[in-house]
Amino acid sequence: MYDFIRGPLVWVAFLVFIFGTAYQVYRFYQLSRPKERYRLRIPFGKPPKDPDEAPGEPTLTWWQQMRLSVVGVNPVMVSVTTLFHLALVLTPFFVLGHNVLLDLAWQISLPSLPEAVADGLTIVVIAGGVFFLLRRIFLARVRAISTVYDYVVLLIATTPFITGFLAYHHFFDYDTVILLHILAGEIMLMAVPFTKLVHMPYFFINRFVLVHENTLGAGGSRTWR
Amino acid sequence: MSSNDQAPINQDEVRRILDQHKDKTKTALRVCAHCSLCADSCFLYHVHDKDPRYMPSHKFINSLGKLYKKKGKIDRAGFKEIEEIVWRRCVLCTRCYCPLGIDIPEMIAIARDICRSQEVFFQWSELEQPAE
Ligand code: HEM
Ligand code: HEM
Ligand code: SF4
Ligand code: SF4
Repeated sequence: MYDFIRGPLVWVAFLVFIFGTAYQVYRFYQLSRPKERYRLRIPFGKPPKDPDEAPGEPTLTWWQQMRLSVVGVNPVMVSVTTLFHLALVLTPFFVLGHNVLLDLAWQISLPSLPEAVADGLTIVVIAGGVFFLLRRIFLARVRAISTVYDYVVLLIATTPFITGFLAYHHFFDYDTVILLHILAGEIMLMAVPFTKLVHMPYFFINRFVLVHENTLGAGGSRTWR
Repeated sequence: MSSNDQAPINQDEVRRILDQHKDKTKTALRVCAHCSLCADSCFLYHVHDKDPRYMPSHKFINSLGKLYKKKGKIDRAGFKEIEEIVWRRCVLCTRCYCPLGIDIPEMIAIARDICRSQEVFFQWSELEQPAE
């Protein structure tokens, strides 16, 4: 069991993560077809005279647009979630412990952040997780759509950070904690393609590829079949 | 309500429409982070004193989401609730905003289609008029 978690399961987890995510993206392309982009961009741009024309220059300043957007409406949530996600995605690449393992396995090593910085980013993720937990418990609107599943996914996303933190500080028995950490990391990776964590690829599909009201960038290029 | 609203639900028809939109329904239900950021973008949510039942995600999860999860096995009473959601709690103004890009109005529109196929729709003429 011990050896399985530290050996083969690591590879299984990475393969499930990579191929599972790739499969989700592939499925999307199979189930969608090209579509011309959508040009409506009111109220941030002057409405074009000819509907085929791109919208005119924005009538609002950059700051006014921000204030009207989700950034201005939910500033606390947006700040927390941005920090949470940046730290969550970047930290694992720069943890010294991970780079030592990469070096041992393939003789490649990414630049490691100073350990104190990695440790700080880990705390950012844990704090973000606590924030999400509290709002899920105490805000009526979040509670109204929450089930056990949401708590489980939040736990899956944060346990690698909690156990990584405990291992780094040698709290409790190191061997047990690091094993739990590896297991937690594997579970998180394998959960991405199959739980609501698929929002990782789907954020980009929904906001940049699918054509709809809130598409960003060039306005999207595909729609569901 | 319409004349035919006591007839049994034609589940095959419900499932046929669900199947037509299966991929996007399934994806939207799975991707939704249940974060509630869409709440503030719906004017009806604000008009109703921030009643969570008016939050866009609450509306699509409890209408199309319910139909999808129960594979269309919903009785008249269940449809009555869905009718209330898709006609009274949403006007399909398409102003809702989801950071993950879920097209909520489209989900509500599909639920309306399913309701219409079972003769479930809202009769505005039967709405109580304010006293003169
Ligand atoms: C799947 C295989 C994994 C292995 C073998 C592994 C191994 C390790 C090791 C050996 C350490 C160093 C502990 C120490 O300094 O003594 C560590 C720390 C850490 N790991 Fe992992 N890990 C894995 C997956 C993950 C994943 C998926 C994440 C997050 C998404 C993660 C996040 C962290 C963090 C944040 C730390 C540092 C905690 C701190 O410095 O406060 N790990 N990991
Ligand atoms: C890299 C691309 C990703 C993007 C663009 C992204 C974006 C988002 C957005 C827009 C939300 C909606 C609510 C909010 O803003 O908090 C969200 C929620 C969430 N994300 Fe991500 N995400 C990404 C990756 C991940 C990954 C890899 C994980 C974990 C493994 C994750 C964990 C979560 C969790 C747990 C929530 C729900 C928070 C809650 O309980 O309210 N995300 N994400
Ligand atoms: S904003 Fe989007 S992801 Fe968040 S609860 Fe609403 S529909 Fe779901
Ligand atoms: S389409 Fe419906 S849910 Fe969305 S903002 Fe309008 S009334 Fe609210």
